Amino acid sequence: MTSTKKRDRFITLPVLGQIALFGGRPLVGILLGLAAGAGLIALSGVNPLVAYWAMLKGAIGSPQSIANVLVRASPLLLTGVGVAIGIKAGLWNVGEEGYMYMGAIGAGAVGIMPLPLPPLVHITLAILAGAAVAGAWGLLPAYLRAYRGVNEVVTTIMMNYVAQFFTSWMVHDPQPMAEPGAFFPMSRILAPSARLPILMPGTSLHPGFIIGIAACVLFYLAVRFTPFGFRTRMLGTNPEAARYAGVNVRRQTLLVLVIGALMGGVAGACEVMGLKMRVYQDFVSGVGFEGVAVALLAAGNPLGVVITTLFFSIVKTGGAAMSVSTGVGGPMTVVIEALCVIFTIAVGYSERKRLVRADKTKEDEEAPQRVG
Amino acid sequence: MAQDHPVALRMEGITKRFPGVLANDQISLDCREGEVLGLLGENGAGKTTLMNILYGLHQPDSGQILINGRQVKIDSPAKAIHVGIGMVHQHFMLVEALTALENVILGIPSDHAPFLDLAPARSRLERLCDEYGLHVDPSTEVWRMPVGEQQWLEILKALYRNARLLVLDEPTSVLTPDEGEQLFKAIRKLTAEGRSVIFISHKLSEVLEITDRITVIRDGRVVGTLQTRDATQLELARMMVGRPVMMGRKPRPAVTKKEPVLVMENVSANDDRGLPALRDFSLTIHSGEIVGVAGVDGNGQRELAECIAGLRKRTGGSIRIHGRAVDRVMDDPSFVGYVPEDRQKTGLLLDLSVAENLVIKDFWRPAYSKGGVLSYRTIREHARRMITAYNIRTPSGEVQVKHLSGGNQQKVVVARELNAGPVLDVTSQATRGLDLGAVESVHDTLLGERKRGAAVLFISTELQEVMSLSDRIIVLFRGRVMGEVEGDGADVSTIGQLMLGKVSEA
Repeated sequence: MTSTKKRDRFITLPVLGQIALFGGRPLVGILLGLAAGAGLIALSGVNPLVAYWAMLKGAIGSPQSIANVLVRASPLLLTGVGVAIGIKAGLWNVGEEGYMYMGAIGAGAVGIMPLPLPPLVHITLAILAGAAVAGAWGLLPAYLRAYRGVNEVVTTIMMNYVAQFFTSWMVHDPQPMAEPGAFFPMSRILAPSARLPILMPGTSLHPGFIIGIAACVLFYLAVRFTPFGFRTRMLGTNPEAARYAGVNVRRQTLLVLVIGALMGGVAGACEVMGLKMRVYQDFVSGVGFEGVAVALLAAGNPLGVVITTLFFSIVKTGGAAMSVSTGVGGPMTVVIEALCVIFTIAVGYSERKRLVRADKTKEDEEAPQRVG
Repeated sequence: MAQDHPVALRMEGITKRFPGVLANDQISLDCREGEVLGLLGENGAGKTTLMNILYGLHQPDSGQILINGRQVKIDSPAKAIHVGIGMVHQHFMLVEALTALENVILGIPSDHAPFLDLAPARSRLERLCDEYGLHVDPSTEVWRMPVGEQQWLEILKALYRNARLLVLDEPTSVLTPDEGEQLFKAIRKLTAEGRSVIFISHKLSEVLEITDRITVIRDGRVVGTLQTRDATQLELARMMVGRPVMMGRKPRPAVTKKEPVLVMENVSANDDRGLPALRDFSLTIHSGEIVGVAGVDGNGQRELAECIAGLRKRTGGSIRIHGRAVDRVMDDPSFVGYVPEDRQKTGLLLDLSVAENLVIKDFWRPAYSKGGVLSYRTIREHARRMITAYNIRTPSGEVQVKHLSGGNQQKVVVARELNAGPVLDVTSQATRGLDLGAVESVHDTLLGERKRGAAVLFISTELQEVMSLSDRIIVLFRGRVMGEVEGDGADVSTIGQLMLGKVSEA
């Protein structure tokens, strides 16, 4: 009985587990998520292949739809990479929603001022202002985590709501930013010199996705090839060893969390300056949380964020088309995204359990082996 | 006294093999009703594995367990509790946020589910406290209790579950002498009632004081079982360590140029729980000298090493290396090389590559990063040189360190720490878990360091290697220097006495 038991310990998801071990974890998760989503679509009486085809066509079937995908992608890329760099350091920076609001406030405040500046300067100033306000906002949970040991998940999540309601207050009538007498709480409209250019006439394609992809590539390179990235990875894989090796663990924690906040701030700024042209109450509506999902799906890899973001944006954009042509409800897209994340985590979990077991056997093996 | 009592527990021919290691090899022992059986052995001798088998945490590959003469199959702690076994682990298994009472009833089905039976449980717990003189306040949360009381709570937890056989794993390591006395009183009361106790320890004096019989195990095998009244410390020590104790001193050239490198004066430090661990510790090590630190694990060794490495705050005293305060030289690899006690937790980042692990202290220096970008080419070249120089067995520098064997992992740490030619090497349990060949290689490296003129602090709980390697040996006991002996002609029983906290009369 003991021998069979022993063998059991090494059998877990033989095929899937192997694929997952070779880095294809998000891919497996996405495929499983799509498959499960297909099952749900079939339950609602629609051929899932037809539905998925409609979704794909709706997303990349025309230049306009591709532009829509990229517009959707731009805040996700930035918030996703902000979360991803945290994951690399073993930190859960889930305050992107709030950073986006604060970034929008900063960018909006500078953007609505009719400054006599060339657009390039005004735009740069507004984006920097957005990043700065969000960064300052992120400094609080970052400090609490780094120097006071307060769990960053709790503080960043809670601060999302504070940021959301603060924004709402800022765009209500008596406040200086607000549009007087508006039918819906919103800020005054941006000065023309503070609006991001439209890249494709007839669409709302703004350069936010370029900034986002650039940020992903930049952080990918930084994590791989700079001392900063090396410290981040050390912190993420073994904080005790990082401390032993002389890394200032607190400073690094603070930096990584604040960088996540800066990214969220830029995302909020681009969203306002490229798409909305005003700061609206509740305008973020979950994009910051989606950033967490995107980063999770990419297992914290900044380049992976580009791919998972495109996937999410295609599902979202195409979802509308799918809904129109097949009658499958729009919320199905959210269900599919959630399923993909859940499956990715589940595959990752079975993989980790495997590794933990392997480690444990190794420890057991080494512990009694003492020679003097 | 208990010799003619019926046998409460018999373990027969227990064998447990972990991949590559025979942890328990045909171990047999028995414990009678009303008896205290001492289980004695060095770290890693297989005591804990054996007790984990008894408690259902591991399954033996062969062998059987009999309780009151009936064979039982213990496949889970729940089953072990059911057959009357209570276990007090060395590291307590308590829920810190819960009160003492809640910990006691945790896992016991309530008679009035879904509600808890707190009132009757409380009065029963209080009765147990009085009966055995082990006092805890039922409504205090565990995290607010001193360690000694947590120990009582663990015992009470087992008694509450009607344990007939109580296993105590190193119970005195966290107790003050007074508390130790209290524990012994409770143990005597337990055995007077006909319960049995298995007392695991490597402290000889305690085992001699409290047990009726002693089973000694070494390298996974039973070396012998003897009546406590016939046993002496020396004999037990010999049985525990086995083989003629001296491995032979390593030949060493005389070093002429001797100057003080490490000077520690009246250093004190606390352990992680904030209790004093190092008290008024003074030590000087010269260049070309290996000073061995002997002592039972947990007597301040870890705190000593971490103080010198600058990783632990001192509560008093001063440490100077080559005349400079220790806090000022931490960034300079030419001062201290430190091989930490736990290479997997502290010394290495297992998920990173060998090459990366070789530079975790230096990657930011100009040699490895130019213009803010890591130069992986130089890092790889450095790795290639280290792999050759320190004979690290790895397919390449790109392999994750976790795929290397323990010995080769240690070589990575040693290579990183000693390569810059530090004036002081501090090694803590540098050979723990290594096979003989790897141990030899570590020893030879350190002798090479001595020859180079480095000062070496060699901390190990393996007395043999301390004796074979050191020019001078100091013995740590409860954070103090208990005594100091020359390495040449050092004698195991003198050191053994010092390790047990006895000032030598010799």
